[in-house]
Amino acid sequence: MMDFLRAIENAGFSRWVVESSSVFAFPSILLLHTIGMGVVVGINAGIDLRILGFAPAVPLAPLERFLPFFWVGFWVNTVTGIIMLAADATTKAINPDFYIKMAFVFLAVINLNYIKKRVFRDPLIDKVPSSMNSKMLAVMNLVFWLGAITAGRLLAYVGPVSGLSK
Amino acid sequence: MNLAHVHLLLNHFPTIGFGIGLALYFAALIGKKDDLHRASLVIFFLIAAVAIPTYMSGNAAEEVIKDKVAGGLIRAHEDAALQAFIVMEITGFLAWLALWQYRLLKRAPGWSTPIILLLSLIAFGLMARAANLGGEINHPEIQAPGAVDATAGWARDFGAFVVGHTWVWPSCETLHFVGLSILFTTVLIVDLRMLGVAKKISFSALYQLMPLGMLGFALNLVTGMFFFIGAPQQYTKNPVFYWKMVFVILAAINVLYFMLLDQPWTVGPEDEAPFGTKIMAASAIFLWIGILFFGHMLPFLGNAF
Repeated sequence: MMDFLRAIENAGFSRWVVESSSVFAFPSILLLHTIGMGVVVGINAGIDLRILGFAPAVPLAPLERFLPFFWVGFWVNTVTGIIMLAADATTKAINPDFYIKMAFVFLAVINLNYIKKRVFRDPLIDKVPSSMNSKMLAVMNLVFWLGAITAGRLLAYVGPVSGLSK
Repeated sequence: MNLAHVHLLLNHFPTIGFGIGLALYFAALIGKKDDLHRASLVIFFLIAAVAIPTYMSGNAAEEVIKDKVAGGLIRAHEDAALQAFIVMEITGFLAWLALWQYRLLKRAPGWSTPIILLLSLIAFGLMARAANLGGEINHPEIQAPGAVDATAGWARDFGAFVVGHTWVWPSCETLHFVGLSILFTTVLIVDLRMLGVAKKISFSALYQLMPLGMLGFALNLVTGMFFFIGAPQQYTKNPVFYWKMVFVILAAINVLYFMLLDQPWTVGPEDEAPFGTKIMAASAIFLWIGILFFGHMLPFLGNAF
């Protein structure tokens, strides 16, 4: 396992990401990851808070139009996330905090799927107030993304000392 | 031109600006002039925004003159300035909120007048005191006897607390990211709608989202000040950070467009936004991504850290 991780970490591209002094290497990849986070969590939080009753004048159904932007952010973060994991595989892949973050991300995406089915596919959307069930889904979605942000940020601080963190 | 000049240039704005704001506010309250009332709230908000780089440039000025003057004078000025800054930012936040409600109610919300009047008076008084203590640093002829307080320095003590505990910085970073996401909720949904996404939503409905964005900004101002006071030299010596502050001021002006002008309010369900509104929406997204970019690039493009 460790040999495998080391092989990934020592691949040419991974070395470039870590060792290049270019701002287009690690700094830009992390920048895209942060912008992606703002888009992903921003749009999710907007939908969640609206379900919970915030900004009641905003109709809920058209908010689904923002989901394609969420998916762009999500895939940008998947790609940049994989690059950063590969570049630092021997430390990140053995850090429990990394798996906590992944668990939160998976739960949040599954949860969003439920929101899509239960809220956006509901024929009574915007005709009746959000059900308790929808509100629970919204609260859980907020908690999952909050957990993902927290675990992600703390990756720079907890667990084995990484070659990347400065 | 060095960084001390920047502080000398900016440092008159908070005191004089709040002085003018207060004068207009009194005139508006006495004369019951609505436009003047709104104008003074705008001044409180914008001056509070300008006070952010003003406060920060003080630490830059300190770097330039610290070997030439007694440290106690600078510490006393910094403490007074931080007190004044905190009250001024709270006033600016509440002035913005009153301005936001003004649009909906067509008058000033009832809570706002006594609270903003009191806070702006306190902010003005504290800022005038800070300015006076700042003036004494390089003008020994106006120093009161015994003005140097050797025990002063709670701003520095607070900075030492931030960097002295390993949990404070990561916690603030996490909250800074949460604040960023909350701010992005408003920026993305309001501004992308104005650019043509989800056209079923009217601008007047989206207006309800704006305090959420301001809440995200407030969280990031607080956590950002933790970083700044903890390690001011990481920022004062970093040109990338100056750009971040310039963009923050521009974003503060941008948000006022959506609150004060009537143009965005003409956008009903299914309406195409006017060209001017689209430009302001696109520039809002550009400014906030720019602010994120400069913040993120602090350790990489700047010469500090």
